[in-house]
Amino acid sequence: MAQGKLKAPKTHGGDIRGFFAKGSSQTASSSSQPASNGSRQTNGRAQGSPIEISDDEQPRKPIPHKTAAQSKPTPKPTPAAKPSTSKLKSERAMEIDDDDKVPVSAPLKRKAKVVVSSDDEAEVKVSPPKKKQATSPATSSKPRANTSTAKADTEGKTSKHFKEEATPRKTASPRKTASPRKTAASTSARKKKTKDDDFIASSEEEDDDDDFVVDDDDDEIVKKGKGKGHASVKKAPAKSTSAKSTPARSAAKAKAEKKPAKTEEKKPAKTEEKPAKAEDKSEDKPAKKPNWYAMKARAGPSNPGSKEIPIPSDPNCLAGLSFVFTGELSSLSRDEAIELAKRYGGRVVGQPSTKTSFVVVGSDAGPSKLKAIEKNKLKTLDEDGFLNLIATRETDMSTLDEKTRKKIEKEQAAIRQSAKEMEQREKQVAKETAASGAAAKPAAANQLWTDRYAPQTLKEICGNKTNIERLQAWLGDWDSSLKSHFKKPGKDGMNVFRAVMITGPPGIGKTTSAHLCAKLAGFTPVELNASDARSKKLVENSTNIMNTSLDGWMTGGHATNAAGVAITDKSCLIMDEVDGMSAGDRGGIGALTALIKKTRIPIICIANDRGAQKLKPLIAVTYNMTFRRPEAQAIRSRIMSILYKEKMKIPSNVVDQLVQGAQSDIRQVLNMLSTWRLSSSTMDFDEGKAMVKMNEKYSVMTPFGVLNKMLGPQMFSPSSRETLGDKIELYFHDPSFVPLFMQENYLKTTPSRIRNADGPEKTLKHLELMDKAARSISDGDIVDSLIHGPNQYWSLMPLHAVCSTVRPASYLYGMGPGYGGPNAMSFPQWLGQNSKQTKLNRQLTDVQARMRLKVSGDKSEIRRSYIPSLFPHIVQPLMDKGASAVDETIEFMDEYFLTREDWDTIVELGVGDNADTHVLKKISTATKTSFTKKYNSRDHPVAFHKAEALGKVPKKLAAAGPAPDLEEAFDVDDEVPEAEEEKEESDENPENDSLIKAAKSKGKAAAKGKAGKAAPAAKGKAAKKG
Amino acid sequence: MSLWVDKHRPRSLDDLHYHDGLSARLKALAASGDFPHMLFYGPSGAGKKTRIAGTLLELFGKGVEKLKIDQRVFLTPTKRKLDVNIVQSNYHIEITPSEVGNYDRVVIQEILKEIAQTQQVDLSAKQRFKVVVIHEADSLTRDAQAALRRTMEKYMSNMRLILCANSTSKLIAPIRSRCLLMRVAAPTAEEMQTVLDHVAKREGFSIPEDTVKLIAQDANGNLRKALLVLEALKMQNPDLQASALHIAKPDWETYCYKVADMIIQEQSPARVMEVRAKLYELLSHCIPPSIVLKTIADRVVEQVDEALKADIMHWAAIYEARMRVGNKKIFHLEAWVVKVMSLYKHFFFSFDMEADFDDF
Repeated sequence: MAQGKLKAPKTHGGDIRGFFAKGSSQTASSSSQPASNGSRQTNGRAQGSPIEISDDEQPRKPIPHKTAAQSKPTPKPTPAAKPSTSKLKSERAMEIDDDDKVPVSAPLKRKAKVVVSSDDEAEVKVSPPKKKQATSPATSSKPRANTSTAKADTEGKTSKHFKEEATPRKTASPRKTASPRKTAASTSARKKKTKDDDFIASSEEEDDDDDFVVDDDDDEIVKKGKGKGHASVKKAPAKSTSAKSTPARSAAKAKAEKKPAKTEEKKPAKTEEKPAKAEDKSEDKPAKKPNWYAMKARAGPSNPGSKEIPIPSDPNCLAGLSFVFTGELSSLSRDEAIELAKRYGGRVVGQPSTKTSFVVVGSDAGPSKLKAIEKNKLKTLDEDGFLNLIATRETDMSTLDEKTRKKIEKEQAAIRQSAKEMEQREKQVAKETAASGAAAKPAAANQLWTDRYAPQTLKEICGNKTNIERLQAWLGDWDSSLKSHFKKPGKDGMNVFRAVMITGPPGIGKTTSAHLCAKLAGFTPVELNASDARSKKLVENSTNIMNTSLDGWMTGGHATNAAGVAITDKSCLIMDEVDGMSAGDRGGIGALTALIKKTRIPIICIANDRGAQKLKPLIAVTYNMTFRRPEAQAIRSRIMSILYKEKMKIPSNVVDQLVQGAQSDIRQVLNMLSTWRLSSSTMDFDEGKAMVKMNEKYSVMTPFGVLNKMLGPQMFSPSSRETLGDKIELYFHDPSFVPLFMQENYLKTTPSRIRNADGPEKTLKHLELMDKAARSISDGDIVDSLIHGPNQYWSLMPLHAVCSTVRPASYLYGMGPGYGGPNAMSFPQWLGQNSKQTKLNRQLTDVQARMRLKVSGDKSEIRRSYIPSLFPHIVQPLMDKGASAVDETIEFMDEYFLTREDWDTIVELGVGDNADTHVLKKISTATKTSFTKKYNSRDHPVAFHKAEALGKVPKKLAAAGPAPDLEEAFDVDDEVPEAEEEKEESDENPENDSLIKAAKSKGKAAAKGKAGKAAPAAKGKAAKKG
Repeated sequence: MSLWVDKHRPRSLDDLHYHDGLSARLKALAASGDFPHMLFYGPSGAGKKTRIAGTLLELFGKGVEKLKIDQRVFLTPTKRKLDVNIVQSNYHIEITPSEVGNYDRVVIQEILKEIAQTQQVDLSAKQRFKVVVIHEADSLTRDAQAALRRTMEKYMSNMRLILCANSTSKLIAPIRSRCLLMRVAAPTAEEMQTVLDHVAKREGFSIPEDTVKLIAQDANGNLRKALLVLEALKMQNPDLQASALHIAKPDWETYCYKVADMIIQEQSPARVMEVRAKLYELLSHCIPPSIVLKTIADRVVEQVDEALKADIMHWAAIYEARMRVGNKKIFHLEAWVVKVMSLYKHFFFSFDMEADFDDF
């Protein structure tokens, strides 16, 4: 019996999906909802209020259902439609009243359940009659359904009416019912669509008058459906998502339910067999070409937050399990689901493998993952199953299988071991310091954790093992490489370099590794970092490695360098933070490069960003070593041992979270923990999350990234959880560029809002959306002019964000640039065009100024009237007659005081047929050169000379403020005597006399330099005396 | 060899052909000795600057025709160099402050103060004051206009201002009230015809009646344009028979027409982007945005149904106003283009747009 039942669902599932031609999972699911949820009284009602229902039922119902299902095995293959409606109604009503009672219509219900092969935790998804109808019609359109998940939403709305109609009219053949439905639905859907947005809010009210639902009249239903369907979709959605509309999904579900049941002893054994066929189907499905764009554009959970997240009895209930998530869950977003799994001790991995305990399958699961599931015979769960697992599973050591347990024990042992080591070492250090009697080092307890727990052996360094080994080998081979003059490359080819450049993100132990390696190889590390001045001079002098030999240092004994350490041939120079060598360290990089070429001691340079422009010269002379972020796992054990030693009790999943949040920045994790230690010694998942959030590194997105997000299908989809604030925040990643990018690219999307429209209506709607967006951008520009205007209303920035970016995106979001649309995202033209305009405008100003003596017109008049009129006189002849027209052209130009450059400007200013590219093509190079030559060989009347050519000194405009600040005035006075002094001195020097032309300018410069130096010195003395 | 417009420009008020009343009044003012600040306004090509020059001639005599151009360099507080071209004679000075964009206020203050603080040294000069002509006064920023207010009163003894603008609407009221407003209206078709005939006579040919009418009509009150067109036509077609004439539009105007046609032909996002590229082309080649909008709108309106014309112009007006307030003109131009496309398409499918209309 189970077999038969199970088979049925599979076909049904597929058919239903197909039936709603474009529709996808949600269609079916939404239709199933009313029944399954034990909705209020009627179908309509049910749709309206899915949330509470689901909550109620999940925890409570399972048992009665199951029993019912088992006890009444014989399903009615073809339920009578008419009776069913009424029955259903009553049944539902009853269910709501008290869930535990087996309702009158139990058989029906049960059957429904069976059909979907749902078991305890799953609700009865579909009312039987509906199912039946759906069965055959739409197999053909399956693939389509698969592709367009995005459409599911809207489709769902239409489906609602359909259901209502379909239920009563059992007698009609499925095909028949289907087609009218489709048309009706599609038209209504379209209409509805247009009003969608406005309706959301009103859905609540709509629910109250839902009683008509059972009415057979199509029209009426359609009409009502408009309002209601909507509401229901919006509200009920999540519920429905989980419902198994996609065949793949249903199959998966069937499996999922079974497997957990089997694996977890708690659940009573089921009589159901594996729905072999259903499974087959799930395999076929993915074989069809997946629509990546649709998947990428996945709209997120259809009904976020519709299911209550259970609170497990055991906070570590998922311990030892590993999960893979695929597809879209109905209630939880992917992130939430992952977080949930992690919170309760589960592990989440990206790809399913044999070791995966469960695959949580949502709608539109990735085909490769489904394949992997099949291949590895993995257990699958759907969302409900997953939640149920959390609610019911209990872990203690005994339930874990042997392997995991051992592993955990081993880990813990290791942790204890290393903690012990640390303890011992600290004690020893304490002893030594006590023995020496000097408080040379602060007691361990007073040290920062980052110092206190800095790795002391190479073993303790997390990650980058190979790099560290190489570094060590290089340092070890230093002497021999030096002897061979760096000719022998050695094993890694490193020994030809006199320096190593370590690059990588902060906090992953670059400096630590460098120091440790140097120490272990017997070198004394000498560190110069950004807190030391490292200008050219200082790098050359203070390190004093530029000496060809180090004899001076050796014999001099106690001479020290900037770092306060004597340099011996056993020193190792560590140049930390070389990318921080900036303004103050002029020439530092160059000097360092020169130094590296000659050095006789190893140099290790450390930087964050390898690609930095200023590091270019260094890259060439150093061996590049890129450190990567260590994996969370590598850090975890280290952190855990530190925690153990500090007697803090923090579960490993929380540690993982901290590590991940800090992006494997060990230093940050330690700092966070040491801060936390001050107030508490335990940390739970939520606290960890808050901690991470607080210490979040703010990363600035590029405008491309912002736009991708903004115009992408998710940001404004109904299920999106971004608030307006979040959206505005995106703008603030780059407030000057994001609006420009938006203006450049807003037309390149395929708006999600017109997804369901067709034909002219679609075009119209699209244009309307474009219009709204363009208008909003225009608003934005006005706001911008207020912000950047004379009054600088900076407080309008958020408004600008909304007008220029958020609002246009809210109209036109959808697939588009960055989401595989036909148009790639482009850089705003505005910048280029604007600078071109500025340039041409300036040139035009010049032209106008020259012509001014002859012409009364202003600038724009010159452009609009004169340039087209001049064209036939000074450009056309050259085009037509070539070099012979040069003379007359020049004559004409002289009349208007135009120069050769102005001629270029005039040509450049042309548009259309007069565009410069056009024109210049028609003037031969010979003509052009003869034109230039002839022009230059003659004298021309000049309207005026450029001020700069005459060497006029620019007059300073007063700053906006009226009077100079008192202090400023004082400063100026102060400076005057000094300048005079200098002048006096330099005047004394005969060489500086401009009348005596000194032959050697070098000497003069030197003299001047001296004079310059002398002056301040004298002044200094005077000041002292005073 | 220069163009006829410039060759035959009237030098004195007596040579002018139209607005005789205005000329007489200017003459009287110049003779009275109590010369006020003046604001000349009117469309381009009506003869504002010619009249200003005539008035100056009347005031100071031949000396004002000895013009020289001087370029002054100013250094802004942000160390940017500003070049300001100044046309001056011994008696007057002409500046175009809008050349320096947002710094016009400081430049005006600097130059005006300098002039105002030096008295006329030439004892033989007819007047004790100098005249400052400010061109493109309607593109002065608000700050610059405010800066003018006080100066205009304070330095009245040494200096008179003559402002030249296309429209008074962008001048603040205090400035307007301090000036004697001189409206120089565009010449009528008949007036233009007399001028065209006059020029033709001076050049030694005569124009057929039809041709004169055609040119006058095409110029739409812009005498400068009419004369330039006349010369161009004469070059192409020496006998100037109206039947064979084709008045060539300037390059940018043809280009604008092309854009208008594009809008009518197709309404789609891709087309908007094409139009945007063309608009950029126009703007970057120094065609003023409001002229672009006006030209395109005129052309579009010509081609659409009667019912749409009002709407299209309505939106053109709205976006033109916004364009003046805003910084990035292209945004508003594009918004208008999209609006027109939407309107057109809706009309095409006879959809009702009323609901959308009111929510602006």
